[in-house]
Amino acid sequence: MTELRTPPVDQDGFPAEAASEQSRPAPATAHGAGDWLRWAWRQLTSMRIALILLFLLALGSIPGSMLPQEGVDPGGVAQYYKSHPSLAPFLNHLGLFNVFAAPWFAAIYLLLFTSLVGCVVPRTFRLAGSARARPPRAPRHLNKLPQSAEYSTALAPEPALEVASRVLAGHGFRLRQEGDWISSEKGYLREAGNLLFHLALLGVLISVALGGLFGYKADRLLVEKGTFANTTSDLDVFRPGRLVTGTGLPPFTITLDKFNASYISSGPQQGQPAAFDAHVTYTAHPGGPSRTFDIQVNHPLNIDGANVYLIGHGYAPVFRVTDARGHVVYDQATAFLNGSAANLLSQGVIKATDAQPEQLGFSGVFVPTAIDVSGTLASIFPAPDRPMVSLIAYVGDLGMNSGISQSIYQLDTTRMHQLTASPQLLQPGQTLHLPGGRGSITFVGVQQWASLAITHDPGQVPALICGMAALAGLLLSFLVRRRRVFVRVRGSVVQVGGLARTDASGGFEAEFASLAAELKSAHQRESSQQDTETE
Amino acid sequence: MSKVPKRNRRVVYLAATACVGVLAVVLLVTGFGGGGGNGVTYVDGNSNAVLYGAGHRAAAPDFSGTTLSGTPLRFSAYRGKVVVVNFWGSWCPPCRSEASTLAVVAQQYQSVSFLGVDVRDTVVSAEAFDRTHGISYPSVSDPDDTITLDFSSVVPIASTPTTVVIDKTGHIAGAVFGQTTYPELTAILSDVTRTSA
Repeated sequence: MTELRTPPVDQDGFPAEAASEQSRPAPATAHGAGDWLRWAWRQLTSMRIALILLFLLALGSIPGSMLPQEGVDPGGVAQYYKSHPSLAPFLNHLGLFNVFAAPWFAAIYLLLFTSLVGCVVPRTFRLAGSARARPPRAPRHLNKLPQSAEYSTALAPEPALEVASRVLAGHGFRLRQEGDWISSEKGYLREAGNLLFHLALLGVLISVALGGLFGYKADRLLVEKGTFANTTSDLDVFRPGRLVTGTGLPPFTITLDKFNASYISSGPQQGQPAAFDAHVTYTAHPGGPSRTFDIQVNHPLNIDGANVYLIGHGYAPVFRVTDARGHVVYDQATAFLNGSAANLLSQGVIKATDAQPEQLGFSGVFVPTAIDVSGTLASIFPAPDRPMVSLIAYVGDLGMNSGISQSIYQLDTTRMHQLTASPQLLQPGQTLHLPGGRGSITFVGVQQWASLAITHDPGQVPALICGMAALAGLLLSFLVRRRRVFVRVRGSVVQVGGLARTDASGGFEAEFASLAAELKSAHQRESSQQDTETE
Repeated sequence: MSKVPKRNRRVVYLAATACVGVLAVVLLVTGFGGGGGNGVTYVDGNSNAVLYGAGHRAAAPDFSGTTLSGTPLRFSAYRGKVVVVNFWGSWCPPCRSEASTLAVVAQQYQSVSFLGVDVRDTVVSAEAFDRTHGISYPSVSDPDDTITLDFSSVVPIASTPTTVVIDKTGHIAGAVFGQTTYPELTAILSDVTRTSA
């Protein structure tokens, strides 16, 4: 009982302050807050949870490839809404049309990132400590080690240890000598490799973050003979990284001189693409020299750290629209988009926004090689062998004057009325005269367009380097064995013992045997030299 | 729940501190990334319309081009005047919406020159636009956005339309990013015409 009454004594032997003892929270609440946090952190940084998160990440990206995504295929999303009117809003609520920007997806990869960092950083410190560590003390009984040898020498213990340390140092062992023993260790490269692997893994994570923060992605559709400048106002889609403002983009310009697509013209693969070439002229900065390049699929153009990929192509029929007052109000190639229809049958719209007295709009279908299948237009080949357009004309308000942006590929006909009862077919050079003297539209000819994706990922090269470093580190840690050799001299007896620290220690027996033999012969040589000197 | 060994606990704290540190750096960078200052005043309580203070005005790039009617134009010929440069296109709904404002302000400020830069457009569409909206000041064709590119190195032009006000010394004194409104444009102009008078 008296013992219980003695004041609590802390580590240094001083009586602890009573007040601090009182203010210390009760054990139950301590378990509630700090320990729970610590427990959660340990769970999060465990290998098991990291693997589960990695699996979830893979699982979560499945809908990203199964369902159309807003960023990549907005038309596909609209199509999905049409065909699944009840399911689509529900999926949208779950963020499944923009998976990679969904909060739950971000939650998974942020947790994974934290988990990996929390796992790798402490390990890195441990490995760094282990790579610098001194060899341990020699065990008392060297003959109990997996490998051991014993012989006698005429040398005194001091010079015998000196000879042994010279031999071991010559083999690259790290030495520690105390009293009558030498402890030596070799194979620290294994720990260095392990350390390299972990640091490189962190490097990969940082590289990915670099790409996400400082990279950007952009798309631009370019009709033949057209030019664009790499500035945010001239890009169709611009997706900047977190820290990209869009003002510092490399100021290059690209002109699409010619787009070539060739298709297989016979056999079972008829109509399949054989090759795409986007012949471009570019300047890296205003006033710089012009260069030419042939962008192909998987053969991007690299300008100033940005890669320009060819990601799509299609037709841009050229139309000329004249209004009721005889003014030409529209004369340009108009990009038509190919949805999922066969043989590049494409759709598009023409908006004559300044036709007088009323705006004119046309929705059209372009067919590169047209045939009539019982009244409907179909395409039998993707090349423009028999091009034809089918147009429906509208008059009224296009809904563009209120300042609200709208898609250039869609016509809002809510405040327009249809001028032609049925779609009108035109071949190149033909003109459709609108009823009531409202003007005319001429199908002038066909050009092609190419869609370019501009990507800049500053993390790409660091990620590659870190990936290679991680592989090199992993190889080192697999191939290099850590092994220890001990020498103890007691009187005239030399004991040598050795062990390899890793299971995969095949080959260590041979190494130990030759080392022991070398030690023995070195001792013999030294003692015989001493003999000759004394004689 | 076993007791965490002291050594491990230190490592855990170390890792947690490292994470918090990284997070703090990221927040710091993002927080100061879009910072204001630099002699910029927002007009009309709206960050889309800005006035650059004296000493914070970048020199406007010189450019040359062809007007919609086909006459060659050099921007340096405007030196000594206050110029409103409006980047627009007949295809852009906000441009259509602001056109009447620009026409009215151009009428009102006779001492100020107005110049359009018609981007990603064709001459026939642009001329039809000017007819519709009664725009009488000239526009330079910039189908390739090269003039925009020249300007975007000194003004953060993010989209069309953008309106830039250049003072008599050829420096960028103000800008409206996005659709211009009457109060914004006149607020910038009254300041620029007053200070450079």
